[in-house]
Amino acid sequence: MRCFELALLICLLSAGAGGAQEPLTVVSWGGAYERAQRAAVFAPFTRATGIPVRVARYDGDPATLTRRASAEGWDVIDMLEPAAIGACEAGLLRRLDHDAILDDPRAARADFAPARLRPCSLPQNVFATVMAYDDRAFPGVKPTEIADFFDVARFPGKRAIRKSPDDILEWALLAEGVPPAQVYDLLSTDRGLRLALRRLDALRGHIVWWEGAGEAADMLQDGRAVMASGYNGRFFAARQEGAQLSIVWDGRLIGYDVWAIPASTGQPRAAERFLRFAARPEVMARLAERIPYGPARHSALERVGLMPGKGIPMRDHLPNAPQHGPRFLISDSPWHSHTRDLRQRRFDDWLKAGRDGKGG
Amino acid sequence: MAHPAHRAVILTLCALVVGALASLAAIGLTDAVLWLNDRLLIAPRARVQYEASRVVMALATVLVPAAGGLIVALILRYLSRARRPLGPPDVIEAVQFERAMPPLRDGLASTLAAMVSLGFGASVGQYGPMVYLGAMLGGTVRRLGLAVPNLPAIAVACGVAAAISTAFNAPIAGLVFAHEVVLRHYSTQAFAPTTVAAATGYVFANVIFERPALFLLQFDGVRHGHEFVLFAILGLLCAVLAILFMRLILRIAAHAAASPIPALLRPMVAGLAVGLTALWLPDVLGIGKEALRFATIEGAFGAGELAILVLAKLVLTALCIGFGFVGGVFSPALLIGILFGALFWTALDASALLATSGVAVYAICGMMALTSPVIGAPLTTILIVFELTRNYDITIAAMVAVVFSNLISHRFFGRSLFDVQMARRGADLSAGRERARLQAMPVTDCLTRGMVLAGTGEAIGAVRARLAASDWNEAYIRDDAGRFAGVLRAADAAADWDSALHKPALTFDDTTTVLEAMQALRGFVGDAIPVIERDSGRLIGVVSEAAVIEAYLDMSQTLRREENAVL
Repeated sequence: MRCFELALLICLLSAGAGGAQEPLTVVSWGGAYERAQRAAVFAPFTRATGIPVRVARYDGDPATLTRRASAEGWDVIDMLEPAAIGACEAGLLRRLDHDAILDDPRAARADFAPARLRPCSLPQNVFATVMAYDDRAFPGVKPTEIADFFDVARFPGKRAIRKSPDDILEWALLAEGVPPAQVYDLLSTDRGLRLALRRLDALRGHIVWWEGAGEAADMLQDGRAVMASGYNGRFFAARQEGAQLSIVWDGRLIGYDVWAIPASTGQPRAAERFLRFAARPEVMARLAERIPYGPARHSALERVGLMPGKGIPMRDHLPNAPQHGPRFLISDSPWHSHTRDLRQRRFDDWLKAGRDGKGG
Repeated sequence: MAHPAHRAVILTLCALVVGALASLAAIGLTDAVLWLNDRLLIAPRARVQYEASRVVMALATVLVPAAGGLIVALILRYLSRARRPLGPPDVIEAVQFERAMPPLRDGLASTLAAMVSLGFGASVGQYGPMVYLGAMLGGTVRRLGLAVPNLPAIAVACGVAAAISTAFNAPIAGLVFAHEVVLRHYSTQAFAPTTVAAATGYVFANVIFERPALFLLQFDGVRHGHEFVLFAILGLLCAVLAILFMRLILRIAAHAAASPIPALLRPMVAGLAVGLTALWLPDVLGIGKEALRFATIEGAFGAGELAILVLAKLVLTALCIGFGFVGGVFSPALLIGILFGALFWTALDASALLATSGVAVYAICGMMALTSPVIGAPLTTILIVFELTRNYDITIAAMVAVVFSNLISHRFFGRSLFDVQMARRGADLSAGRERARLQAMPVTDCLTRGMVLAGTGEAIGAVRARLAASDWNEAYIRDDAGRFAGVLRAADAAADWDSALHKPALTFDDTTTVLEAMQALRGFVGDAIPVIERDSGRLIGVVSEAAVIEAYLDMSQTLRREENAVL
């Protein structure tokens, strides 16, 4: 059996080497994250297989997924897990045979837990939506918890928030004192949504919206906002580049980033080879050394070491590092995926109410 | 009786095993209910994901509880011989009267029915079934026939303690609940094993399965002294509401039995009522842990919403229990109480007369002040607050409300719903354990032997001769059919049966209890009292005053031994 697998591997490798000319289009999120991916995943993949990687960028909007995937010839997409669940259920993604992609699938499943190998997605890293503030804005008393984000009396200034109902509603309930374990239960009720949006009312007139993942850190840096919600890796990268900002880990929202293959891909074999490569613990660890997004596998976490060139111990900056405090919330991806329309509708109504001057 | 060391080993092992099993059973029941709630679109977290398909949602909301009702009725009809839900009153009765628990088969059927009731969204509680399940597991120890005094009762108490300890993640409350509600005395012999069982439950819930504390709450303390008066007033109001709640449960149960709706369809009717109400008031479905949390958040409910929800939950719970769903009153009481507490605060806040420390403390006070009289366990509820919230200030506030509520409810209703239900079944504990046991013991248990017994067919002279040869002053005479005819006194000289027979000063029948006998015997002079079968008039035997007093002393001694037992 082992011999057979080995033979198969050699076959595959030589086939890969032979057809090296056709590039694989991998879709990423741009910025510091994409730079880390190029160094840790894409380049080593090309070196190992001879398949060149062409990088495309995507903002996660599900409405444009089908059109762009087929028009631009996407082969592998880096997605947020809820979006992947939705796209999978809509038939936009290929079903994955995890047993074929992963070595020793049973052990791998345990290695990935609590992340799940879902029908169309392979978890790759763990990121946190955290709050950060401009150090220059609060020289005295500093924000320490999620409730401070909603408190413009104690901490005046603009808040940079993603223009989406994805994370801010969870934060609103955490700020009401709801324990993390109950946040999704409460947000599932009409009353819970009303409460969360009421909390958001406190920020009316103090919000600057962002849409691209890198904008939050930029807004803090150029003074458009004094506090921001954003991804921990982006804030870390901005700090590395000299931005004076601090991260508050209280109430961090932990989510999974996954790999998926669009149904329209022309090279499913090569795409699966890419997934197989990217799921290796050493590859995952290499990414985490360049941007502090935790690897989705336990065995990879142990390999995370120092940032190349800078010597920063990266494990301390991962979302799941123990010193970040006890209050965090693991994002419920299926729930997010299945309540997207409802939340979007309520969020749009809230935005509209603000424009009409009602309840502002 | 076994050696003390031997007894200690048996008690400890029994506490560990029963504690572990009861704890696992409680966790299993909780998980099964959660799973069903999720699959059957009862839990809001599941419902919201199907929000777009309105027809499916509406159908599920109305039909699921109704279907649950039908299944519950079928389970009770065909799987249970008792054909009724079993709960804490059955546990208390078994322990207080040293009886065996109801058969295992009935217990399992009742538990299954409770799982369906809760899983399908009926407005009933989960803690009653959990307590019963723990007690049922503890009850099996009796069958082992181990030579340790009081072991059956202690084993049942261990199961109860572990169940509460696991359910609330509150070992101290579990321990106290077992004593306050089930054992009703504190002895070292019982205290040690129940503590071990409660700790075992805690270990399972907290260390092995890592269940989170149920109700962590941020609260910075009571800010104003006058608020303690408000807590007391809230306690009094809660007592009134609790009495209303309990009376409604008893009233509806009594009416249901007399209603033209067949028993098999009754739970379905209640389920339908829950489903239809849930169409516009989804908070009434199931245990309502979301509403429980919302009640502690300022502004989550308007005053009108709170009032309607309190009323709806009160009526629907009484309807579900009265119409035959299987489940407890504990968690509905928690919910009604917390909503009422929030309502009290909302009214207070709107009046702007007095400063308060926020809604949370009033909600918690209301929750406990309403629950405590229903389950008859003030100390347990105070400890539950402490262990659930891990907040000392809130505990002190809740204590004030609980005490006043209990005082009123005990005076005007009874110790608890369980006790009143038991009293209606003829096991009245309201005047203490001793009196209850004497009341439960028929006088036929202490019949006196060796009396002079004769028939009217015998020659009167021969009977007189037998009487003279005995220590007795009276002979007891039956007629030809075996019916009691009267007494023949040694001092009486009449020569024929008709004029010699006297009607005795006092007679008992087979329904007379030892307690009644003791009351009747005041001022009685004579040998003994004939005990006559009520329907046939047949003489069962006689009972002497000494035998009745002996029975009383034996009972007192048994209880005294139990209450002072060390090992």
